[in-house]
Amino acid sequence: MRDTQASKSRSLLYAAAAFLLLATCVSSQAKADVPTFTVGWSVYAGWNPYFYMQKSGILKKWADKYGIAIKVQRFDYAASLDAFVAKNIDACTMTNMEAFDLPAAAGVDSTAIIVGDYSNGNDAIIVRNGLTFDKLPGQKIMLVQKTVSEYLLERGMVLNGQQANLSKLKLINTSDSDIVAAFMNNKSNPVVVTWKPLVSQILADKSVHSIFDSSKIPGEILDLLVVRTEVLNRPDGSGQKFAKAVSGAWYETVAQLAAGQANAIKYSAGASGDSVESYKEQLKTTSLFATPKSAADFTTSPTIKQKMDLVRQFCFAHGLLGQGIKSADDVAIIYPDGSIQGKKDRVRLRFNATYMQAAQQGKL
Amino acid sequence: MVSGVSAPVKVANETGTVVAMPSPAATSIHVDGVSMCYPLAKKKQRTVLENISLEIEDGEFVVLLGETGCGKSTLLRMILGQERPTSGKVYVSGKAVERVDARSGYVPQKYSLFPDRTVLDNLTMGPETSKYHILGRLMPGFRSFRKQVRKEAMRQLEHMGLRPTDAGKYPHQLSGGMQQRVAIAQALMMKNRVLLMDEAFSALDPATRASLQRLLKTVWNESKPTIVFVTHNTAEALYLGTRLIVLARSSHEDHCGSKVALDMKLPGNEAGMSLKKNGQEFLDLVDYVERFSRGNRHDDQALDESAVDGEEEAV
Amino acid sequence: MAAFSPFDIVDIQARPNRLVAQALSCLLFLICIGLYMQTSINRHKENPEDRVTPNATQLANGIHASVFEPAEEDDYIPADDASKWERFKHSMIVKDTVSSGRRFLISLALLIPAVVLALHIGLFPWFGAGFLRFVLFFDKIVALSLLPILFIVFGIDEWSKIALIVIGVAPTMILDVTQMVKAVPQEQIVKAFTLDANNFDVAYRVVFRQVLPQVINSLRLNLKPMMLFLFAGEMIAASDGLAYRIAIMRRHMGMDVILPYVLWVAFLLFAIDLSLRLLNRRMHPWFQA
Ligand SMILES: Nc1ncnc2c1ncn2[C@@H]1O[C@H](COP(=O)(O)OP(=O)(O)OP(=O)(O)O)[C@@H](O)[C@H]1O
Ligand SMILES: [Mg+2]
Repeated sequence: MRDTQASKSRSLLYAAAAFLLLATCVSSQAKADVPTFTVGWSVYAGWNPYFYMQKSGILKKWADKYGIAIKVQRFDYAASLDAFVAKNIDACTMTNMEAFDLPAAAGVDSTAIIVGDYSNGNDAIIVRNGLTFDKLPGQKIMLVQKTVSEYLLERGMVLNGQQANLSKLKLINTSDSDIVAAFMNNKSNPVVVTWKPLVSQILADKSVHSIFDSSKIPGEILDLLVVRTEVLNRPDGSGQKFAKAVSGAWYETVAQLAAGQANAIKYSAGASGDSVESYKEQLKTTSLFATPKSAADFTTSPTIKQKMDLVRQFCFAHGLLGQGIKSADDVAIIYPDGSIQGKKDRVRLRFNATYMQAAQQGKL
Repeated sequence: MVSGVSAPVKVANETGTVVAMPSPAATSIHVDGVSMCYPLAKKKQRTVLENISLEIEDGEFVVLLGETGCGKSTLLRMILGQERPTSGKVYVSGKAVERVDARSGYVPQKYSLFPDRTVLDNLTMGPETSKYHILGRLMPGFRSFRKQVRKEAMRQLEHMGLRPTDAGKYPHQLSGGMQQRVAIAQALMMKNRVLLMDEAFSALDPATRASLQRLLKTVWNESKPTIVFVTHNTAEALYLGTRLIVLARSSHEDHCGSKVALDMKLPGNEAGMSLKKNGQEFLDLVDYVERFSRGNRHDDQALDESAVDGEEEAV
Repeated sequence: MAAFSPFDIVDIQARPNRLVAQALSCLLFLICIGLYMQTSINRHKENPEDRVTPNATQLANGIHASVFEPAEEDDYIPADDASKWERFKHSMIVKDTVSSGRRFLISLALLIPAVVLALHIGLFPWFGAGFLRFVLFFDKIVALSLLPILFIVFGIDEWSKIALIVIGVAPTMILDVTQMVKAVPQEQIVKAFTLDANNFDVAYRVVFRQVLPQVINSLRLNLKPMMLFLFAGEMIAASDGLAYRIAIMRRHMGMDVILPYVLWVAFLLFAIDLSLRLLNRRMHPWFQA
């Protein structure tokens, strides 16, 4: 009795082992056949369409066309950047500032293949009691430090002639998960800098108002899709296919969104748990490059160099490039026309308009 | 029959409330119709003591005897004020006992010394706190008073047979016997007239125990305080006491509490009785007392057994 | 000594000699350092500027920056000929340690009333009846979830962080001390009363003195939760402090600064713990545990 039981369980074990072996063989074969890529995205008006892109099957259509597989994974913003730097994902959505100060400054050569939108009022400086820029020094200012919020604040000060007072600002680093409660419930904290949809929540209180927002600095806060350059340059050409597939899928998605297609908006809003109204309101202050042409034009224009220069000087001045880096030129940027901002031998961030242009010409 | 022993005194239970106090000069402890019940699970009660009345006069050395669990400690705790009786009242030095206070000194079996104080500090603690409470130590007279108390404590220490070098030790550095000596000294420092001791020597080895018994006897002979001493060693009881009280319950049911089974004066109280001195008389007495503590004074068969037990214990 | 046999490892009665024991105790440290170095070297082979596992030079730079350079948000610019000491005094690690340390010490001081309350709860039946249930309940509340309320009541400055620590640690501490107080033998309290002590003598000069060494031990165990709450508070809203710096550095993966900070915090906690232990031994020679 016991013997048969033992032999039974043993044969079961063998079967399981054989099955496992088979399964790994098959799956590894499948892997070898279809190169798989992962895109990380996080919640933001300009990135939510990635959710719809996957849900609607647009992404799969394009991936199949190029014979590859693309996975889309949602992250917290900071976690998505960590995953990108740690090379756990191949592409990631991020702002131009983070693209410069995180992967690029950490030595991970990165290429921006899609310039999706720029913040056109999504980020704002909000004050109580009708404060103005010249009154800001000495006030407590709540924001997530070392992010575009701080950049916006600094640009606001500069554009309002308060450059000399920059060092007198009293910044309080406040986690974005608590910043609304912390600002609304403390009348002693008169200034907050944050982004939508938090801005909308705060502005619902009529006693506060926005004194500056990103619509005053158009094109400076860009939202990109960044791919690791080494992935793009894979010898088997699969990286190129990936870039083309994503670009194709993206512009098909954005076209639907721009046309106001109900499902596109509904799913994109749902991606961040927003209502359709709230999402539409966010889209108003997000300047989406709805056509590949507008995106390619912006990326190849001289404006982008000026804007990036502002951003990189900010990053360097605030130590965002890390201890090892002694000058902003140590993290160089190359533009589609081949011009380089910084040291020629230290190119880390590349703006590549090839795929946007290909989309524009319908060559994808 | 037992010779040379006065017949057991049957204490009359006074019924009705006591309005006029017994004269305080003569009576040190007055236990008046005290009963004690502890609640058990399921709304049942367990009576431990049932209607106990005692008059203990000033200068008496009372030994409380009885089987384990018969309520000796409970009675002592009530005299101390640690527990309030379910009915009846206890008076010490003419006043009703409500809370634990400095009327009586206390020497328990364990934890009698403060572990965080040296021997000397343990001794001086009583007089110091009683004169200067927690904030009083900031007063100007405190230091000189303390000096004086320390001197007295050292005298007391030597009197108890401890060396002056022991004064700086902590209790955990002393042997069990030394600890109990210090505990007695500590109680004596308060000079109160009533001393309550609960199996104070039970955890000691026979030799140490004997020497402490002699010490206690000397102390009592010197100043004649009222002592209530709980033990379940009959030989110890006979050696120490001038009066012996045995508590016993007549049946083992829950509603039936212990009563005073035997209450008798012991002769030759100055020196104390012992097997060596009193021989057969001592053995007979042990036998007699233990029959009461078993609560079966009418059972002849058990009498034989207890006599054998008694002999063993008395040696 | 008998020769070593592999079975000694699982033998309760086998004792390694001093030298071997010392070496064994270092073993895991060495393994950790080795693994780290291995990872770091590998990652640097792939990407010479890797930040996730900084190498020795990066770490040295990071340490130098934290110890001799002012915090980036400070106005202080050291003179060129400023001495090392001068630079150190204005360095970011000193600045952060001072501000975190102040919060920590204030919360520590606020635990004193908590301990006194615990003494009363454990000793005075009326206090016990009034407080014990509430504290038991309050202890189960996750302090972090109260943060929005703390912001409203205490603002986002120092006091909300201190309140977070105190609310997080005090109930546990109170319950712990209450237990200790209740464990003091009844005989001791009775004895003290027979020595003519009044209630406060008993509470403070008998019971409190006896539980104090245990209270200090309990505090030692609570140091880590306190630090945890402090870090949570500083990461959520702060303009200086050890955890603030770590949070900021994390934005650009400044592990070269974060790692020294983490080790520094560990060292600080260890030092506080050690000094409390020594203090306990000094103050309470009678206490054996
Ligand atoms: N707090 C209490 N709650 C319930 N029952 C109690 C309590 N204290 C004592 N008792 C019971 O009262 C009885 C008498 O206890 P007590 O300690 O007075 O006995 P004792 O005569 O001193 O015994 P021993 O010689 O073993 O010390 C015991 O049966 C005990 O179970
Ligand atoms: Mg007892």
